Amino acid sequence: MQEIKDMVCPFCGCLCDDVTLGIENGSIVSTDNCCTIGNAKFLGKNRLKNPIQKVDGKWIDITYDEAVDAAVDILLDADRPLLFGWSGTHGEAQCVGVHMNEILGGVIDSTTSVCHGPSILAIQEVGHPGCTLGQVKNRADLVIYWGCNPIEAHPRHMSRYTTYADGYFLDNAFRNRKVIVVDVRETETAKVADEFIQIKSGGDYAVLSSLRAILRGKADMIPASVAGVSKTQLMQVAEMCKTCSFGALFFGVGLTMAKGKYKNVRNAIELVDDLNRHTKFTLTPMRGHWNVYGANEVFSWMTGYPFAVDFCRGVAFYNPGETTAIDILARKECDACMIIASDPAAHFPRACVEQIRDIPMIAIDPFQSLTTPLADLQIPVAVTGIDAEGTAYRMDGIPIKVKKVMDSGYPSDTEILTRIYQKMLEVKGL
Amino acid sequence: MKFILNTGRTIRQGKYIENKLGQGYAEETSLCRIHPLDLLELGVEEGENILVKSEIGEIVLEVLADEGLPKGMVFISYGIHCNSIISPRTHGTGMPDYKIHEVEIFPTSEQRKTPTEILEQLGGVRYAGN
Ligand code: SF4
Repeated sequence: MQEIKDMVCPFCGCLCDDVTLGIENGSIVSTDNCCTIGNAKFLGKNRLKNPIQKVDGKWIDITYDEAVDAAVDILLDADRPLLFGWSGTHGEAQCVGVHMNEILGGVIDSTTSVCHGPSILAIQEVGHPGCTLGQVKNRADLVIYWGCNPIEAHPRHMSRYTTYADGYFLDNAFRNRKVIVVDVRETETAKVADEFIQIKSGGDYAVLSSLRAILRGKADMIPASVAGVSKTQLMQVAEMCKTCSFGALFFGVGLTMAKGKYKNVRNAIELVDDLNRHTKFTLTPMRGHWNVYGANEVFSWMTGYPFAVDFCRGVAFYNPGETTAIDILARKECDACMIIASDPAAHFPRACVEQIRDIPMIAIDPFQSLTTPLADLQIPVAVTGIDAEGTAYRMDGIPIKVKKVMDSGYPSDTEILTRIYQKMLEVKGL
Repeated sequence: MKFILNTGRTIRQGKYIENKLGQGYAEETSLCRIHPLDLLELGVEEGENILVKSEIGEIVLEVLADEGLPKGMVFISYGIHCNSIISPRTHGTGMPDYKIHEVEIFPTSEQRKTPTEILEQLGGVRYAGN
């Protein structure tokens, strides 16, 4: 068995880069250092063998050439195509997607709009007091997880960067680093925290505001209990935050999906701002997909906007709530869809899934997903991190090269998108 | 009884993400976690099925007792089951109310559907493989 060290796990925003893979007869047979989810990703089976197309309600196998032609027909026939997904592919493929959308005059959106889109809106309003995960690991003596559950969603976050990690500038990090968890339910992560704040659903904004008031010397204004949290606990937590040397606040979709959405995040950023008058404090969104951050970066460099970018006016514009995938689908506005590196049929509200069903749709994915039954065409590709390489951005914005371990013969996302793009240019005489 | 529906990631849901047509994924995403006292009040036992109804539609799920939840809140892992009852309204933010949807729950003797069955009901066509 051949062993390959220091591989990067292409599953979640932690982008763990210390994975060891065991290879035998051209396939991965074991993983080391991975969490359960990363392990399942590397050992994933059941990839589609060739492109498939639905003809008269039945699936037929087709060649890559036929698939490229069919994709070009679907996209060029549309007046308002939606190119959605992008978070599970590499930056180079995302670049091609933006170019493609420019000539199509459609909307390009990533899964950001249903995860940390609201965080980006808040960051655009008040900025991002961030830092790298390395800084957190080596310096933070206080970690807050707010509205996130790393034990289930980012299983190695705590062992690589926070609770169970050593810290270069910390004495006995394991004992001395304090962890606060804020959530509406007592999750597995809450159970290992030094302090657990259980708030009532929709109460994040009020609790954040109360902490800010206490930090600004206005504790008198706070009632005995705020959204189910006692004033005594709020005072204690404010004191813990104020007196730490380096605090790191991580937050998840518990803030962005709850009542208040981006205003919750804005309040969290302003809390961190207030704390920086007393000590050093930073904030990092717990990004889900391994390269969802990269999609925001690539779209921003190329169009000026981080997600939900609309090219229908010939120049890029963006207006979350209008040009975001959920809204476009719910309004039944798009008339064709290309879905890459994501699975909206599994994650979008039913009304949006029904719209995806009703329009021509191309899926680009190595595996059959829940989007497959609704697609008209699915093109299998290589899995970045296994049989393709490319650039990805970790949740703290650090770009990492995701490596290739084997050659499987599948085209990479960049390769297949480039073929579709070039054919489009040819047909349009550009 | 009325509840707040909270949806989110679970490690089992994550583990099956590249094999969503399998049984493991179907079982995990059709589980509804609920406080044991709420179960008592509903007159349902762990492992039995319930019908969850919202303004959008309804779905049958199996209940699992979870003391970590506050009373009045149920939790379903991300997937096609919970999304069958979530509204596409985003209040101008692009983000639906994945964590704060109001639902009503009733005991039921109906069976759970698999994600593929739900998709077939929507008009999707299963690919048998090659
Ligand atoms: S924590 Fe995330 S990146 Fe690390 S091994 Fe697990 S799934 Fe992969």
